[in-house]
Amino acid sequence: MDTENILEFKQVTKHFPGVVALKDVSFEIRRGEIHGICGENGAGKSTLVKILSGVYPHGTYEGEVIYGGEELKLGQSSIREAVEKGIAIVYQELTLVPTRTVGENVFLGKEPVEHGRINWNKLYAETQAILTKYQLDVDPFAVVNNLGVGKMQMVEIAKALSENAQVLILDEPTSALSKEEVEKLMDILRTLKKHGITCIYISHRLEEFFMIADRVTVMRDGKVITTQPTKDLDRNILIKYMVGREIKERFPKGNRKPGDVILEVEGLEATNPNVPDRKVLDGVSFNVRKGEILGIAGLMGSGRTELVMTIFGEYGKITSGSIWMKGKEIKPKSAREAINSGLVLVPEDRKKMGLVLIQSIIRNISLPNLDQFSRDGIINSYEEMKACMQEAKSLTIKAPNLDVMVETLSGGNQQKVVISKWLLSNPEVLIMDDPTRGIDVGAKYEIYKLMNELAEKGVAIIMISSDLEEVMGMSDRIMVMCRGHSTATLPAENADKEHIMALATGVAVA
Amino acid sequence: MDITKPAETQHESLKTRFLQSVSRNIQSYILLLAVVVIWAIFFILTNGSFLDPQNISNLFRQMSVTALMTLGMLLVILTGGIDLSVGKLAGFVSVVVAYLQFNIWFKLLPGQVVLPAILSVICGLLVGLLAGSVQGSIIAFGNLPAFIVTLGGMWLFNGLLLLVTQGKTIAADQPVFSVIGQGYIPPAWGWGIYVVIVAALVLNMFSGRRSKQKYGFPVRPLYLDLISVGLILVLILAYVFSVNSYKGIPVPVMILAVAAVIMAFVTNNTHFGRYTYAYGGNREATRLSGIDTKKLLFTIFILMGGFSGLAGIVLASYVGYGTIAAGTGYELDVIAACILGGTSPLGGVGTIPGVLIGASIIASLTTGLQMLNVQPAWQYVVKAIILVAAVYIDVFFKMRRK
Repeated sequence: MDTENILEFKQVTKHFPGVVALKDVSFEIRRGEIHGICGENGAGKSTLVKILSGVYPHGTYEGEVIYGGEELKLGQSSIREAVEKGIAIVYQELTLVPTRTVGENVFLGKEPVEHGRINWNKLYAETQAILTKYQLDVDPFAVVNNLGVGKMQMVEIAKALSENAQVLILDEPTSALSKEEVEKLMDILRTLKKHGITCIYISHRLEEFFMIADRVTVMRDGKVITTQPTKDLDRNILIKYMVGREIKERFPKGNRKPGDVILEVEGLEATNPNVPDRKVLDGVSFNVRKGEILGIAGLMGSGRTELVMTIFGEYGKITSGSIWMKGKEIKPKSAREAINSGLVLVPEDRKKMGLVLIQSIIRNISLPNLDQFSRDGIINSYEEMKACMQEAKSLTIKAPNLDVMVETLSGGNQQKVVISKWLLSNPEVLIMDDPTRGIDVGAKYEIYKLMNELAEKGVAIIMISSDLEEVMGMSDRIMVMCRGHSTATLPAENADKEHIMALATGVAVA
Repeated sequence: MDITKPAETQHESLKTRFLQSVSRNIQSYILLLAVVVIWAIFFILTNGSFLDPQNISNLFRQMSVTALMTLGMLLVILTGGIDLSVGKLAGFVSVVVAYLQFNIWFKLLPGQVVLPAILSVICGLLVGLLAGSVQGSIIAFGNLPAFIVTLGGMWLFNGLLLLVTQGKTIAADQPVFSVIGQGYIPPAWGWGIYVVIVAALVLNMFSGRRSKQKYGFPVRPLYLDLISVGLILVLILAYVFSVNSYKGIPVPVMILAVAAVIMAFVTNNTHFGRYTYAYGGNREATRLSGIDTKKLLFTIFILMGGFSGLAGIVLASYVGYGTIAAGTGYELDVIAACILGGTSPLGGVGTIPGVLIGASIIASLTTGLQMLNVQPAWQYVVKAIILVAAVYIDVFFKMRRK
């Protein structure tokens, strides 16, 4: 069993109707290493994971997967089987039962039973043992609901380890984590490595590979482009492999000429709609001009999303301050009112808040714009199709046709659908809440270009981002938020990273 | 592939196009197949009498009461909700209408027959709409689950029904009024209606092709359009021919047909319809797209109430009296018809033709099993198996496609 390679892919090919998701994929993963896999969305990473987890069982793909010296033959409809063999996956979307405790979640489905009863003491003791062994800092009695995303992920990892996992697959583990939580996760992975556990680490954040991965495999269009030790790689080479061309600059240069102020927010204070005495916004003032990109920087929990949702009429209860649109005060109480005054929002979570996943691209794009192609409430579907096609074409949405469900698209294309639906409504102010989260490098670049084009046409853009480089690279001005208030608004050209971080953490005041 | 072309116009061979369209609509085909199989089985077991003109006539007439309610229930289930009150609401409306017919109008309007019938219809509809708007406002603006509110509604309407009837049966068999549920359209008129349908469908097809060309979309070959329109026309022809050789198209079936055509148009071609589907797919995204989702939900429950009212009127006229048991258990037939017809209980998926086929499956089972003198106990067992098996087959095919 103790082979050098714990996993070997040999000419693995996976077809879907009309698409080849994996094409002759061959590479190996060494026992005990942290192996990074990167590639744009749609490169085949998730298909690979699904083969390992048994979602696509043996026989539904061609080629061989060798696990510990033997061919991995997972049966039909048996995802448990992979887990029992020691392959565990920590998904991007966490799979915990939120209302139960950490211990119950870790042992879900395999509770220690004695005489027909669950031995709760044993369950919690064993949970504690696992948590201690791998230095996971979580209380086994805590209810999952009350934990932060970072801790939930630790529980997820503990759950995988409690099954004696040999191989741990982490699919985009850091997409929802703060910087400190990422650091913590890296420490955990190093601990796991010491215990001889092999990790497959999939991420869009390339810098993370350089922090922990021993080797990186780059995939593109269903093929493996290369597998190399991390020390021989750098960020630019990785990107080149991923996109097949060199991206000289991460952020395209725009030719923006900001005009008059269009939206102005003055001393905005608001409370949490569910907890009326909790202040979420505590004095935010800023303005944005026509044709300008205003970046909003701040840590998670600084009130960035709450701010834009409040302006959009869908979150906080405004207790003081005012919002002015083109010199007129507005008090939006719903998204509808905000949209009518010329504001639109590309929300933070596109799947939950931006898209109707089970509907076609056309239906999603046309949803807020039906008035444009109807008379007396009756839709002219040809007008609709024509308008949506134009929009989809100008945003280069990649799909077999516009009747496919949005669910089946990659993250980048889904985001483009959200953006198209708002562009069709000709907004004056476009608010984008973390528009490139979970999107691959190529699609990011296209979205940046699009933002520039829009700003050049005179649209005012407000962009929230967790990626400081993105904020600095794309904005004309940057507003920094810290604990619900705006600490400063700086011109982007002479902003520096450390200064923004200091403002965002409350160390510095402007 | 070029995304700027609609799916149906991409150049593929006829066979792949056919297969694609089959796999896209697999659910509808399975449903139609189920109807054919069920009819064939009953045809054989009853030595052919199942497909007698008289039986076909009765089958669709009997189904019209629940089928009217499925038109509203589809909308409710599309939002991810449920309405448990529809059976009792229809029952309540039926006794209110019977009460008006029997106790009120002859005092207020002695000697009149047409006006009372019209007034009864108006009052029945108003009661339904009012009930729907009360429940709808609590659900939409009070944010209470539809399940709870309509469960309460079911008890409430049952109580009101008992209050109106005082435990007695009320006759509702007055001449003009009974036409609504028991009347027939004379065969000659029936043929006239058929000619109008033929003209409307053919004109609609050509005007659709013309506007497609006008907007620069490729048109599919004429014969394909002709085949699909032709198939629908043949089915309607078979029906009209069959019922005309008995007494003609039953009036309640005609009411159902008109209501169904209107609702099919509304669900596909209006803002209201689109918003309903979108809401069922993702409430949050729909609201953030600037749609007044509370008003939407409210409107849907008003419509549901209206259809229950209409069903109640047809029910009173059809059975000829209002009883304390009127409408009992109908809500479950209605919900089952929607689910059988491919409506997803999670919301966002379902069609008017689908739920009508669902309703006709249930009606066929009821009629067929009765004709075979199957004990009521076993009728339930057979229906139970078919409901669960049908949904299982559907789920199975959906899994396979993934």
